[in-house]
Amino acid sequence: MILLRLISWPYARKHLLRTLLTTAGIVLGVAVFVGMHTANQSVLAAFHQTIDRIAGQTQLQISAGEPGFEESVLEKVQNVAEVRAASPVIEATVQTDRGNLLILGVDMLGDRSLRTYDLEGDASIDDPLVFLAQPDSLLVSQNLGVKLNARIPMRTMEGERTFVVRGIMKPGGLASAFGGNLAIMDIYAAQKIFGRGRRFDRIDVALQDGVSLDQGIAKLRAAVGPGFQVEPPSSRGEQFEATSRIYALASNITSVFALFIGMFIIYNTFAIAVTQRRSEIGILRALGATRGQIRTLFLTESAISGLIGTLAGVVFGIVMARAMAGYIGGLLEEVYGVAQTADSIQVEPWLIATAIVMGVVTSLIAAVIPARAAAYVDPVKALQKGRYQSLGEGENRMRRRWAMACVVAAALALVLNRYTPIFYAGYVLAVLAAVLMAPAASLWLARALRPVLAKLRPVEGTLAADSLIQGPRRTSGTVAALMLSLALVISLGGLARSSYNSIAEWMRIALNPDLFVTTAESVTARSFVFPASLGDGLRKIDGIDEVQLVRSVRVLVKNTPVMVVATDVASLGRRGRLPAVEGSTEEMYREAAAGRGLIASENFARLHGARVGEVLEIPAPEGVVKLPVVGIVRDFSDQQGSLVMARDVFVKYWHDDSVNVFRIYLKPGANGASVRQKILEAYGNQQRLFVLTNADLRNYVIRVTDQWFGLTYVQIAVAVLVAVLGIVNALTVSITDRRREIGVLRAVGGMRQQIRHTVWMEASAIGAIGLVLGFALGAVQLYYSVEIARRDLIGIDIGYAYPLSTALVLAPVILAAAFFAAIAPGESAVRGSLVEALEYE
Amino acid sequence: MIHLRGVFKQFDGKRKVTALEGVNLSIESGEMVSIIGPSGSGKSTLLNLIGGLDRPTEGEIEIDGSLLAKLDDDGLTRVRRDKIGFIFQFFNLLPTLTCLENVSLPLHLRGWPRKKIEERAKELLSLVQLGARMDHLPDELSGGERQRVAIARALSVYPPILLADEPTGNLDTSTGVEILRLIRDLHERLGATVLIVTHDLAVADSCRRTIHIRDGHVFQDVRR
Repeated sequence: MILLRLISWPYARKHLLRTLLTTAGIVLGVAVFVGMHTANQSVLAAFHQTIDRIAGQTQLQISAGEPGFEESVLEKVQNVAEVRAASPVIEATVQTDRGNLLILGVDMLGDRSLRTYDLEGDASIDDPLVFLAQPDSLLVSQNLGVKLNARIPMRTMEGERTFVVRGIMKPGGLASAFGGNLAIMDIYAAQKIFGRGRRFDRIDVALQDGVSLDQGIAKLRAAVGPGFQVEPPSSRGEQFEATSRIYALASNITSVFALFIGMFIIYNTFAIAVTQRRSEIGILRALGATRGQIRTLFLTESAISGLIGTLAGVVFGIVMARAMAGYIGGLLEEVYGVAQTADSIQVEPWLIATAIVMGVVTSLIAAVIPARAAAYVDPVKALQKGRYQSLGEGENRMRRRWAMACVVAAALALVLNRYTPIFYAGYVLAVLAAVLMAPAASLWLARALRPVLAKLRPVEGTLAADSLIQGPRRTSGTVAALMLSLALVISLGGLARSSYNSIAEWMRIALNPDLFVTTAESVTARSFVFPASLGDGLRKIDGIDEVQLVRSVRVLVKNTPVMVVATDVASLGRRGRLPAVEGSTEEMYREAAAGRGLIASENFARLHGARVGEVLEIPAPEGVVKLPVVGIVRDFSDQQGSLVMARDVFVKYWHDDSVNVFRIYLKPGANGASVRQKILEAYGNQQRLFVLTNADLRNYVIRVTDQWFGLTYVQIAVAVLVAVLGIVNALTVSITDRRREIGVLRAVGGMRQQIRHTVWMEASAIGAIGLVLGFALGAVQLYYSVEIARRDLIGIDIGYAYPLSTALVLAPVILAAAFFAAIAPGESAVRGSLVEALEYE
Repeated sequence: MIHLRGVFKQFDGKRKVTALEGVNLSIESGEMVSIIGPSGSGKSTLLNLIGGLDRPTEGEIEIDGSLLAKLDDDGLTRVRRDKIGFIFQFFNLLPTLTCLENVSLPLHLRGWPRKKIEERAKELLSLVQLGARMDHLPDELSGGERQRVAIARALSVYPPILLADEPTGNLDTSTGVEILRLIRDLHERLGATVLIVTHDLAVADSCRRTIHIRDGHVFQDVRR
């Protein structure tokens, strides 16, 4: 402790900027980890909270996926002796001027035995019959800020309707669900508004006293049949978590990468500190400090700086989470069609504890090698003025050997990569090999650059290159950090490029109708549905050649919510035939059209391990649908995977002939705009209806893809920022380390501009070396990323396409960043006292 | 060649330290002068001011007709590179550059053509009897050899003034004598004005003029 106060503290204070830069990597890494997870957790917590608040005294919920089920099921449930109360529910979100509004359709007569409606003042809800007698009644939470008897217009499946607020719920409990953006209406009114026919989304159940949940579940399953899910309300939260799994995984990868990069910056700084403080270490050793004490001193310094960086990162992360929670909520809504916003940030103690452990451990790992080097400083050599001790020759040789071993092991792992753990081990080994090779590779590249730089500017270029050659320890950590950052950017860029290419190809084939008639501007919103009869009407409109009825619903397959797309498969095969990735294209469409099979998307097959010929069991109200997978296609409809089913089969098993989207093909020569107008004129006033053109839909898909890759841009920004911090750090250290050298240069006639040029060229050289290594590792990293995406993330083989354009953009960006990073260190090099610099030791 | 008029130098710190107090001094062209004095007397400060490495707090310094106070940093650098050669106690060679590259360095900074630089650097290394060690790195040389390289570097443009701060301070006695002989030889052959800061009375006595500095004042100015 005394050494920390006497030795470490004055050093840290003297090199404050460097100390701050060192912790910056940890700050960013921890901030991304805490920020992303807190935002994610907050959205999930808000979702759970909404479920809890809506559930009230509900113990079990009976559902059959998104399509819901017929009213008759209610009677079956109510007849179960163990049931105390059973109340049907329709739950939907609608977009309003005030944001998303959650509408709950309930049966006011029975529902109050499950939920408490705490109303303000004298509201007519005291007599539910009055509320029921007026189908335009609405109960809203006080949070919405509307007054009693206020009139709220809404576009419904029966056209524009005005609702009257007949009760205002006091804040707290049910009224606080969905951030307080909640409205309650009569369930039969909701059926009409959302076009649900005589169907419910689910039935909420409270059991008789003394009946256990397991007993209740068994009795209810026996009553309703195997096609229904009978689960506690909390299960819905688990399904939501499953849908946002990919997003959480992607954010974890960014955090780990940021920390990994930060680790190299810390390593770099500590390696330099050991070199710079060797005389101090020599004195301590001469005065009797043991190797263990020196090692402990450096490790403690590292742990403290890691802790400080982590705490700052936690604070920064929480601030970030506030901004990101809204973004994630929006993303989940666009991509998964589940609307949820977080009204407050939930900071989990375990998350903070994990972040602290991660930050401190990362910092400690980074300091292990420098601390060991410090412990082995030879006091005799360290105390000789002007004498330098080479600290790393043996270490370098060892590192190269380990790197070669890692390369061989990674190559072996590639051969056996069908085993997932071996594949991931190979990935880790490949990155490790690159990291271990980085110092040697930077040295080779610096040597190769020397003549080039010398040609450009004989003195400045030579000195810049020599500085890199002379002090590989000074820059190897930075180069490694830069290499990792750029590799991450290249792999993300490559993934994005391949994804856009694959999606464009999929859109070209699958999204080829001229017009799409939908119930919302967003095609992922599935709250409202059309009656099938609208299709007949549309077919009669002049200029329309063919109308495909599509009902897409999320139902549980293999215990995961999967999108089932029920449509006229024969027409689909004729108009937008996706080639089979597995199975025969011809047979696949024929069998599926005849209702004898399902066409699975590639991602469904990969993520859920399905194969052609496998019989899938899909629970439906009319029993369990058992159909084989007859073919696999590359389909981007849903991230969890999709199954195309003949519409007849769906209608038969779900008793639901409603439609989400009508895909419309025009007759040759028909004008899209005029047909669109005719549709709107014919039906736009009668019901809620949107007509999207092909371009609208494609733009929508691209926008959602952009939104998904928005996270990628955050990752890229973090990676580049950390890399730039690394360069600033390396240069600051380099300038301090070469103070005397720069002093000599100035003493023998070097102009300020020439010194600046030297620093700038050194920075550019670091940038150039990082670019070369980063692009090379990026090629490897991209291979693994594409594989990981195929195996475990999206389940689609999007193909390997090196993002040359990204690389072309990155090169000047990094060189410019390196140049800007060099400005402040360059100025510090020319501003210092010349006399002090010459005496500096 | 070198004129100091009422030169003061104060260092600001937690407490102010006055290194030089009203120094007046004139050194003519071609003189070989030693500056001696106890530690902290101000002799190195005096050399740094004359070499344009530092600026006085007060007073005027004129080098070969240039008033240093009127020059900006680049002007001062030009004076250093065109008129002054430095020899340091700890050589201050760049460890990554070969002898030839170290000697070439000031010439590159002047933007000389490569061929001419190489010719001059080789000529200088031969002059200091290191023609056979041109491609060696400083680490591969003895202390005396390193100081010779430093002298060759100081002479790169045959500057009219050569400033040496304890040039033999880091060398054994016989090597010190050898280096001093070299400096004197170069002074006689090239006619440069030489100022040597030293602790060594033998070194001081070998010069025709010795300036004694004590407590920031010129205490004695002895001509032989």
